[in-house]
Amino acid sequence: MKYEAVIGLEIHVQLNTATKLFCDCPNRPGDEPNRNTCPVCLWLPGNLPHLSQEALEKAAIACLALNCIIQPVSAFDQKVYYYPDLPKGFQLSQHHMPLSRNGWVDITAEKGGMKRLRIHHIHMEEDVAKLVHETEGKTPISLVDFNRAGTPLIEIVSEPDIRSPYEAMEYIKALRAQLRYTGAAECSMEQGTMRVDANISIRPEGTGEFNTKVEVKNMNSIRNVGDAIAYEIARQTECLEKGEAIMLHTRLWDPDKRVTTAMRGKFAGPCVPDPSVAKIRVTEDWLKKIQERLPEMPAKKADRFAAEYGLTPDEALAMSLDRDISEFFEETAKQGLPPRKVTNWITTHLAPLLKDRSQAIGETALTAERFARLLAMLEKGVINTHGAREVLLKLLESNESPEDLVEKGQFRQVSDMSELEVIIDAIIADHPADVEDFRKGNEKVVGFLMGLAMKASKGKANPKLLREMLVKRLA
Amino acid sequence: MSDIYTYKNVSSDVPAGAVSPLSGVRVVVQPNISVRGWPCDAGSGALEGFVPLQDAAVITRLKSAGALLAGSSRMSELGFGLVGETTVRALEEGADVAVMTDTMGEARVTAAANGLFGFKPSFGVVSRFGLIGLVPSMECAGLVARDLDTIVDVMTAIAGKDPNDPSMPDEPAVDLASAREGFECPFRAGVVKESMDLLNETEVRSFKAGLARMEAVGAVIQEVSLPGYSLFRTVHNTVASVEASSSAGKYDSVRFGHRAPQGKNWNEMYLASRGESFRSLVKAFLFQGAFFQFEDYGAFEDACRIRNRLVGETMDVFRTVDFLVFPTRRTGHDPWEAASVKAVYESFLLTLPANVTGSPAVQVPACNVDGGVDIGLQVMGKRLDDARLLCAASAIAYTVPGGNAA
Repeated sequence: MKYEAVIGLEIHVQLNTATKLFCDCPNRPGDEPNRNTCPVCLWLPGNLPHLSQEALEKAAIACLALNCIIQPVSAFDQKVYYYPDLPKGFQLSQHHMPLSRNGWVDITAEKGGMKRLRIHHIHMEEDVAKLVHETEGKTPISLVDFNRAGTPLIEIVSEPDIRSPYEAMEYIKALRAQLRYTGAAECSMEQGTMRVDANISIRPEGTGEFNTKVEVKNMNSIRNVGDAIAYEIARQTECLEKGEAIMLHTRLWDPDKRVTTAMRGKFAGPCVPDPSVAKIRVTEDWLKKIQERLPEMPAKKADRFAAEYGLTPDEALAMSLDRDISEFFEETAKQGLPPRKVTNWITTHLAPLLKDRSQAIGETALTAERFARLLAMLEKGVINTHGAREVLLKLLESNESPEDLVEKGQFRQVSDMSELEVIIDAIIADHPADVEDFRKGNEKVVGFLMGLAMKASKGKANPKLLREMLVKRLA
Repeated sequence: MSDIYTYKNVSSDVPAGAVSPLSGVRVVVQPNISVRGWPCDAGSGALEGFVPLQDAAVITRLKSAGALLAGSSRMSELGFGLVGETTVRALEEGADVAVMTDTMGEARVTAAANGLFGFKPSFGVVSRFGLIGLVPSMECAGLVARDLDTIVDVMTAIAGKDPNDPSMPDEPAVDLASAREGFECPFRAGVVKESMDLLNETEVRSFKAGLARMEAVGAVIQEVSLPGYSLFRTVHNTVASVEASSSAGKYDSVRFGHRAPQGKNWNEMYLASRGESFRSLVKAFLFQGAFFQFEDYGAFEDACRIRNRLVGETMDVFRTVDFLVFPTRRTGHDPWEAASVKAVYESFLLTLPANVTGSPAVQVPACNVDGGVDIGLQVMGKRLDDARLLCAASAIAYTVPGGNAA
């Protein structure tokens, strides 16, 4: 029998607010342990939570970016469980009345075309403390770091629409792109600002049944989510084929062994409405203000880029997927440069450089205005591609003007025919055999000789002119 | 440590010189109201050794009004019931006013049993910041004193919006200054007909004596109906036990509280510590709450729904009368002896409706008296009608010989 997987994802995303969800402590979990704490987020008796407006606003923006409907009334519940990372015995979470419901994201389906994956709801909750286990000494001890305690999270709960590891990974990427666009979250699985739990069950292909599901946790990259799901589908299929029943339980992904293993059931208690945090009632005015703060999202922006700047659909998509890049592209193009040339330079030169340096544009010294001036010199033939690339590298690090950098680095392109003539003479004199080869009909020799000539000019020769002159001489 | 106090203040942190509204007023608090640097165990092993880092809002305001904090009295575990309570003895020994948590009527019943005044403010009028509570939606800082003026003075100092308690609704402040103005009579006082079923013959006679005194002040007494009255107890019991079970989850014995030495892992340590920390009465209450949480959540949801209905019914009654009147305590149901959850509820049956609905209620001594037994006169007002309620209580108290002075 052929089986298909039914997959739902629960994704926790840390909001990048300045403070924690219910107090004014800095939202910086990575600081020196227990530095960012107060009686509220240490959950000491007698303290009362105070909902952060910024967290509520950022959560609402994130919901809108995922096409969810903000609920007129939402509320916090006490989610009861006992664990050393939660010394107050309950987590404030929106169980009964979540902030928003009924959203979706679109992904490119495995076989092409678009597939819409639905989101059941998004709710807010506070994060718990972090346990640090020290097993080295004589007595293993566990330490509790409260820096993370009470930091704001949203939990995005999907509908069980996902059918394969590929779709799960695309869903996460789509969510991440949308959320990063809003500026409300960083969404890094590696750094723990996005955590994904997967619920997986399998059923005979084509049936509508929902079978017992297994939850898989502890994946620290999108790749690992895909691998863990693939492993789990194979494991469950094998179970069924052997006639074993699937039990409802939680498994942990082991990134080293690349398998999932069963974990001891975590006690999950009920949710009681919290009597201290006021209910959230959304007014039309407030919602309108939040909607106005939502930036133009990637899909819409890509359409506009295609229409306004004449980009192909692929180019428009590439230029709009990341908000920084999209804004950088548009600013550069507005300086009067051919938009497709800008796109090409961002995709083939700038983006790989940023990736190598693991930097975002904003973290470099480069501005759209200086980038545009560089491309303008390239357009006018003042410099060639090689020179432009060298200058671009420098622009990432210094605030000097591109023109000065061209002069200083002597990147100005050589179009002086007499200078080029000298270079060509020398090369032809040094490589009589290759010249002979060409004359016998081997045209590939031109490329080889061009390379030598460019090298001799230290990359500064006007390549178009050089080639013309070389071919003429060889003939 | 004494029999009466868990902590006695020896320092004098009263600002010298300036005359403040509460200058010279000695206040005793329960050890579940945070005072920076004082042990604050709420009468429970679960909080053994806990010392708050901040003053409760009530304490901050009392201090800045010039009150002298005498110390903290002994209290029943986590403020559930009155077993082991020593507030009255602290008052006898010279304190002028006691701040005690009122979750089901503790302040009012304490006052009624000792010929004192007791007051429970409207929910949301006094900040709960720093109150180590058990039932967040029902409890508030209650007051017990020998005279009403002191209660009005203290209320004036402690009431009002506090940014540290975001659960306080955005409502106009209660104007307590008006509580000192004369009261316009007549006022209409309602007797809830369904509540009369609870009273025995002596209690009925006492209550009628009290009603007669009220009529003498110019009150118009009329019978009203609260069809859901008999449900107050079940609603309180169900909701309060669930909130207690959830909020007492924070006692894990790691950072404070009694910690059991045995246990192979954290889970066993939790179980052993909690088992040894809580005493049987609170344990039974927490068990009951946990049962609703885990096994019968629907019953809890029903109780919340009925609670909303009772709030609505009570509001409706206040369209026809200014106040509701009840006796405060029942004879034969001594809360200091109540050793079971059932017995605790029996002794607070007449006071807990104010906690369920968040209404203000005041206990006036020496009115409901029959054969020398004072069961207390309880006047309950509309939520946020605290000032008018205290005003009416003064009017009643002045008609009683020695009623406003002890």
